[in-house]
Amino acid sequence: MNSQEVADLIKADADEIRIISERCLFASSDKKRFLNILRSLKSSGVTHISTITALDNGKSIELIYHFDCKPALLNLKIFLPMDDLKVPTITDLFPGAILYERDIMEMIGVVVEGHPDPRRLFLPEDWPQGKYPLRKQKEEKKA
Amino acid sequence: MTMVIPIGPQHPALKEPEYFRFEVKGEEIVDVDIYFGYAHRGIEETFARRNYKHNIYLSERICGICNICHSTCYSMAVERVAGIEPPERAKYVRSLILELERIHSHLLWLAVAAHQIGFDTLFMLAMRDREHVMDMREIISGGRVHSATNAIGGVRRDVTREQVPKLLENLDKVERSVNYYINLFQTDRTIRSRCEGVGVLTREDAIKLCAVGPVARASGVKTDIRVDDPYAAYPNLSFEVITETDGDVMAKGMVRLREMVESVKMVRQILKEMPNGPLRVPVDLKIPPNEAVQRVEAPRGELLYYIRSNGSEIPERVRVRTPTYASAPSLKPMFVGGTVAEIPIVLWSLDVCFACNDRVTLVDANTGKARVVTMEELRRWRS
Repeated sequence: MNSQEVADLIKADADEIRIISERCLFASSDKKRFLNILRSLKSSGVTHISTITALDNGKSIELIYHFDCKPALLNLKIFLPMDDLKVPTITDLFPGAILYERDIMEMIGVVVEGHPDPRRLFLPEDWPQGKYPLRKQKEEKKA
Repeated sequence: MTMVIPIGPQHPALKEPEYFRFEVKGEEIVDVDIYFGYAHRGIEETFARRNYKHNIYLSERICGICNICHSTCYSMAVERVAGIEPPERAKYVRSLILELERIHSHLLWLAVAAHQIGFDTLFMLAMRDREHVMDMREIISGGRVHSATNAIGGVRRDVTREQVPKLLENLDKVERSVNYYINLFQTDRTIRSRCEGVGVLTREDAIKLCAVGPVARASGVKTDIRVDDPYAAYPNLSFEVITETDGDVMAKGMVRLREMVESVKMVRQILKEMPNGPLRVPVDLKIPPNEAVQRVEAPRGELLYYIRSNGSEIPERVRVRTPTYASAPSLKPMFVGGTVAEIPIVLWSLDVCFACNDRVTLVDANTGKARVVTMEELRRWRS
C-alpha cells in the first residue's frame, strides 16, 4: 500500500494524518481506537512492525508505532497523559513487537497491559525501581 | 531431566554481548532464554545531548562492522528533517561505500561461520579476501574501518579517476573468490553436513516475528529496503533481491554469498555511471521542529532511525533500531529442537557477531554441579 491507500484505510480511527511522501506518512490516534487501526492493517496484509519509539515531550508520553505497509511506512502516534501510562499490548496482533514493548516499559515507564513476558530487557537487575532513563529529568536540571 | 547451559555474556568480538540460557534434555534444546543489555551504552539519550554534527561520529560508533550504514542512515534522517536533498554524486559515493561494507561484512560472516564448523582454512581465505575490500575502503575514505565519509548534506571525500583502476582490480579478485566460495558451499561435504537442515526458521515464523535482512530472505520473505524504500543511488542501480526457501544455515549462507555477487556488480555500475558534480550542500543546523524516519538496508537487514528536531542544534530525540534487535526473537524457533553441537553455527547464522564466545558452563540440574567446557570443546561436540 502506498501512503494514500494507508490513509484511506485508517482515516476512520485516526485524528490527524500527514502524508510526507508516497512512502512515508504520520498519523495520530488514541489508545482506545488505535487497536482498530492495527486490526484493519493486519487484515489488509501488513505483518511487519519496524519498531516502537517512545518519547517524553514534557507534557505527555508519545508512543510511535512504525509499521511497514510495503512500501509505505506508517508512523502511528498515540499520546499517553502522565497520570495514566497504560497501553494494551499489541503482541497478539503483531508478535514481533515483543521486545519493543519490553523496551518501552523499562525505558520510559509505560505499563503494557497483557504483555506475555514483562521482564526488563536492557537495564541491569539492580537498576532502581521507578527510574526511567528516557524520561525528562526535571529535578536534575534544576540542581 | 533437563539441564541449563548458560552461554555468555562476555565475547571480545561482539558488538552486543548477549547471555543465553539453553535448557537441554540430553542433546536436544527444549528452550532458550536471551538476556540483553550487556553492552547498553545509553546512546539514544547521548544523541539528545550532542549537536547534529557530533552525532554523525556517535552514530558511526554504534557498530564497528556496519558503521557506514549507521552514519548514512543518521545523515539522511537529518537531511529529511532539515528538508534538504544531497547532490547526486554524494548519493553515489554513499551507495559505493555501503555496498563495500556489505561485501566485507558478509566475508567476515563467512570467515567466522567456517571457523564455527571447524573449517579454519576457509576462515583464512575469507579473511584474506576481506582485506581487498578493506584496502578499497581505505583508498576511498582514508580509513579501513571508520571511514568518516558522511556529512549532513553530502559526503566529505570524493572518488577520483586515478583510484578507479585499483578499485576495479581488487573487485575482480573479490568476485573470483566469491564465486569459488559459492561453489564450495554447494559441494563441500563438511559444510553441507554441518549447515543443511540446521537452525531452520520457517517462512511463517520469519513473517510473524518480523525478521529482517538475510535472515528473512533465507526463509523466502522478499524484503529489502533498497527496493522497498530506495534511498541514495539505489533507484538507479540494477540488482536482484536474493532469496532462498529452506531457512536453514545453508540458505542463510547462500543468501549472503549470492548478495556479494550482486554488490560487486553494483560497485562496478556505480564506478561507471557516477555523475560529476558537487559533493555536499550547505546546511543550517538550527533545524526547526520537525520529525522524520529513515530506513537503510544494512548488511544484517533493516536499520531504522527516527529523529525529532526542536529548533536548536541538538536533536530532541533520536531512536535507533538495529537489525540484530529486530531478528533476535527469531533465534528461539531456530534453536528449539536442535542440538547442543549446533549452537555456535546457528547463533552465527543470524550474524549476531557471536564470534569469540569463550566458554560455556554446563550445570547439571539434578546435582547442581557445574562443569566448564571451552568453546573449542563445544565445537567438537558430537551427539
